[in-house]
Amino acid sequence: MKVVVASAHRFPDQARLWFRFVGRDLLPALRGAGAEVEVLLFRDASPEGFEPRLFPGATLLTRSFEALDVVEFREKALERPGDILFLLDADVFVLDGEWVASLLGHFEDPTVAGVSLLRRGTLPGVVALMARRAAYRALQAPVLAPSYEGLERWPHPTKRQAGDRAALALRARGKKIVDVPPAAAAPRLADFSGATAIRTAREVYGAVLGPRFETLLVEQPDFAEGAYDNILLGALFRVVFGAPYAVARGPSPFADPDADTHLSGSATPEELRTALAAINDRKALARLVASFERSDRALTRLAAREGLTRGALRVPPVLPRARALEALRAAAGRLFGKR
Amino acid sequence: MTDAPVLILGEGELRRHETFGRDTVNRGAVLLDCTWDGGIFESGVMAGGLFRSGTFRGGVFWGGVWMGGTWKGGDWENGFGPDGQYHSRTVHP
Repeated sequence: MKVVVASAHRFPDQARLWFRFVGRDLLPALRGAGAEVEVLLFRDASPEGFEPRLFPGATLLTRSFEALDVVEFREKALERPGDILFLLDADVFVLDGEWVASLLGHFEDPTVAGVSLLRRGTLPGVVALMARRAAYRALQAPVLAPSYEGLERWPHPTKRQAGDRAALALRARGKKIVDVPPAAAAPRLADFSGATAIRTAREVYGAVLGPRFETLLVEQPDFAEGAYDNILLGALFRVVFGAPYAVARGPSPFADPDADTHLSGSATPEELRTALAAINDRKALARLVASFERSDRALTRLAAREGLTRGALRVPPVLPRARALEALRAAAGRLFGKR
Repeated sequence: MTDAPVLILGEGELRRHETFGRDTVNRGAVLLDCTWDGGIFESGVMAGGLFRSGTFRGGVFWGGVWMGGTWKGGDWENGFGPDGQYHSRTVHP
């Protein structure tokens, strides 16, 4: 059996951290299970920073007429010879490669077209999807692209995320996509779901917005969640690689050349702390704190794979003191409420 | 006869979930999940949302739906055509 692991990356530092776990925990496990493995890493950005020596054994691809972006890359990856295409997002880290390899056993059932290890929507999507290549290639191209249906109902059309239409079409053909229960996946995959989006947004329009960008941290929970995810990943990256993380790219005419650039391409702890202090909706804040706690647990697991404790990473606090006390009280309330 | 009032959106402005009509000119604002209906988009970012009509002369189109209008220039990062199908980077309408 040949497995093609395919992942698109916009940020070299994130890719380096992602590949550290793939290279150490996933690839040996897949090979140990008897699979031939190929890794396709699509650089959805300038190749600068993606030095091949940092990704040993991986095939590094760049934007070209064959694949102009991540959506086209997935289609090209599906054409690559192999039995199973394992699509894995840039912000999903493999902790337990043996467990992932064990999931290949599902494909002994010929009606299984895919195994979804992690989903963020109502359908399996492509966040962490093992796809039986033959089954997916039998579908009409583009197989995995996102799309809209019912645009005449704007602003309430149906948005099909990447992989959704394929999942529906396969089910209509009597094929199965095995859904791994979240409780089974949580200890084995670390999901930092907002980490990439906020960096992309900061890169695309952060400079244009200037300080107004920080209001998005207050108004859009996914931005605050992504900012916190990057603070956590940045803390790990700094300890593991000894370099700053999520540094802003491109010209920043107002930047102090001596300033710490760590997290300038996402949101700094100070920026997030200020934003959280400005959130007046207690329920919204409680939801954010719950999300932060999930990410904290994921970081603890990542750190453990590196032989580190969370304390060793020195993650800066982001909740203002009063808000931290509120969160503690709420957590205590939940704890005692359950008893 | 007087000219129709023109709403000029400028750099540093952030608008969300709003609709802009034919008398609007964008000169640098970031529009998140907005509807653009008839104005001139000179620069700035249209992230998500619906471009119903008007002229896109410059700026970034990122993840929105292009229902109609005239594409004169700018950066098409990605988006969707009037049939709902995905259009990848640079493949503008």
